[in-house]
Amino acid sequence: MKNLTSWAIIGLTLTFLIGPFIIIIFAGASAGESLAFPPDGLSLRWYLKVFTIESFRQSFVLSMGLAIFGTLAALLLGIPAAYALNRYELPGAETIRTVVASPIIVPGIIVGLALLRYMVIPLDVTVTVALFMAHTALVLPYAVRVVSSSLNNLRSDMEEAAVLLGCTRLQAFTKVVLPNIRGGVLAAFILGFVTSFNQVPVSLFLSGPGVRTLPIDMLAYMEITYDPSVAALSALLAFMSLAIVFIAERLLGFSRYV
Amino acid sequence: MFSNTREGLALALPAAIFALLLFILPVGILLSEAFQSDAGWTLSGYTDFFSKPLNQTVFLRTLKLGVLVAGTAAVIGYAAAFSISNLSPVARGRVFGLVILPLMISPVARTYAWIVILGRTGIVNDALVGLGLAETPIRLLFTETAVFLGLLQLFMPLMIISLLSAMENIPRDVIPAARVLGANWFQVFFRVILPLTKEGLVVGGTLVFTGALTAYITPAILGGSKVLMLETLLYQQVNVSNDFVSASVIAMILIIMSFTANLLLKRIATARK
Repeated sequence: MKNLTSWAIIGLTLTFLIGPFIIIIFAGASAGESLAFPPDGLSLRWYLKVFTIESFRQSFVLSMGLAIFGTLAALLLGIPAAYALNRYELPGAETIRTVVASPIIVPGIIVGLALLRYMVIPLDVTVTVALFMAHTALVLPYAVRVVSSSLNNLRSDMEEAAVLLGCTRLQAFTKVVLPNIRGGVLAAFILGFVTSFNQVPVSLFLSGPGVRTLPIDMLAYMEITYDPSVAALSALLAFMSLAIVFIAERLLGFSRYV
Repeated sequence: MFSNTREGLALALPAAIFALLLFILPVGILLSEAFQSDAGWTLSGYTDFFSKPLNQTVFLRTLKLGVLVAGTAAVIGYAAAFSISNLSPVARGRVFGLVILPLMISPVARTYAWIVILGRTGIVNDALVGLGLAETPIRLLFTETAVFLGLLQLFMPLMIISLLSAMENIPRDVIPAARVLGANWFQVFFRVILPLTKEGLVVGGTLVFTGALTAYITPAILGGSKVLMLETLLYQQVNVSNDFVSASVIAMILIIMSFTANLLLKRIATARK
């Protein structure tokens, strides 16, 4: 009896959380012209149409680029910072930690607006560069946090031993530390990638002619038409994220790091 | 621990300087904008903002939805997390995977589903008309209810995850012991489960509340201009009215609310210890 109640609660909660996603998959597979569930017959036409919409293709490439290179940049900044915060006695370590983590606290829309007003317009920086900076800043806190937690699990006497045995500090890092925190770095990359790719508010104000991230482009498309193509695209993107996370989980037990 | 301070700073400072220049500085300038006028420092940006009825409505609505979403998520979250924590380890892992799965999906996709459910020709309206409960489709989209449901669905996983990890720390025999000693379920919850999981509740509550306050997509898609929240109002002020002072005021309100929520909940958690 108690078990039955448990499963009923879990079932209802999961229906609420996942049901809408299943509806999207089917709404996108409609054979009809309008968004409906249950769909008017099944077909893959909207799933295929998504690939022929030029603006979606452009914004997909932009979002991909931002997610990959923004996250890489955040790791390049974040790994040394996490290492220094973990292994060195730094004056003002708490301040540095707060500064680096600050992008997580401030709503993205404000960051986007601030960068538009005080970087893009006065300094004549292109929107693409500003987007890249914004996405890097956004991912930085995750990069530092995830890499820090895997550094915490790595005993520092291993590096000290390497240095005693004749390695330089840098060699100790590349030969001993880096191979051991590989999983954490990869987990940080995936988390950063998914965060950046799905991010909307930061990019709201940072768009220009031909420069729009994919979620923003989808929002704009939805304002014009309610056809099933956005549902189809949403489903495809969701499958992409899930595939990435699933592979990561299989390869390295991703959820340990998040 | 290495004691070479200069080397450590050289490693840590690039990230800090990047965040400072590209993040803290621009946001700081934006926030200061509401305090500036031709005559010097002023608070008139704030008094003007709060004197407009629309802004008051939006401010109170955002606060109300934030509290409602966090509160509902806590109630459902406790029921769900408690049920999940009683499962066998294998089943628990699978259900946990399903709970965090939505977090990996684009919020645009997750919110868009509600249009299919709540739209004029959506599932709910089809059912209502089909069952004869309504003669014509009723407006469900662009209502506070729609925004509430969207936000709840978006952020509930964060609450469940936080509560689940807190429940792992409850010793297994404590609840049966309380029952044997004569506590009813109400007492078990308030005297045993709640005190032992309040840190999880604080973390989850903060995440859900601030998430709901600062969500843009859900109010934009499900609320539109009929149900503005602070983020959508900010967007409108900038893009429609070019009003950067109001934008700066809203930015400050959002940041203060996130911080206060965080502090307040932390205070509650430590006070009851």
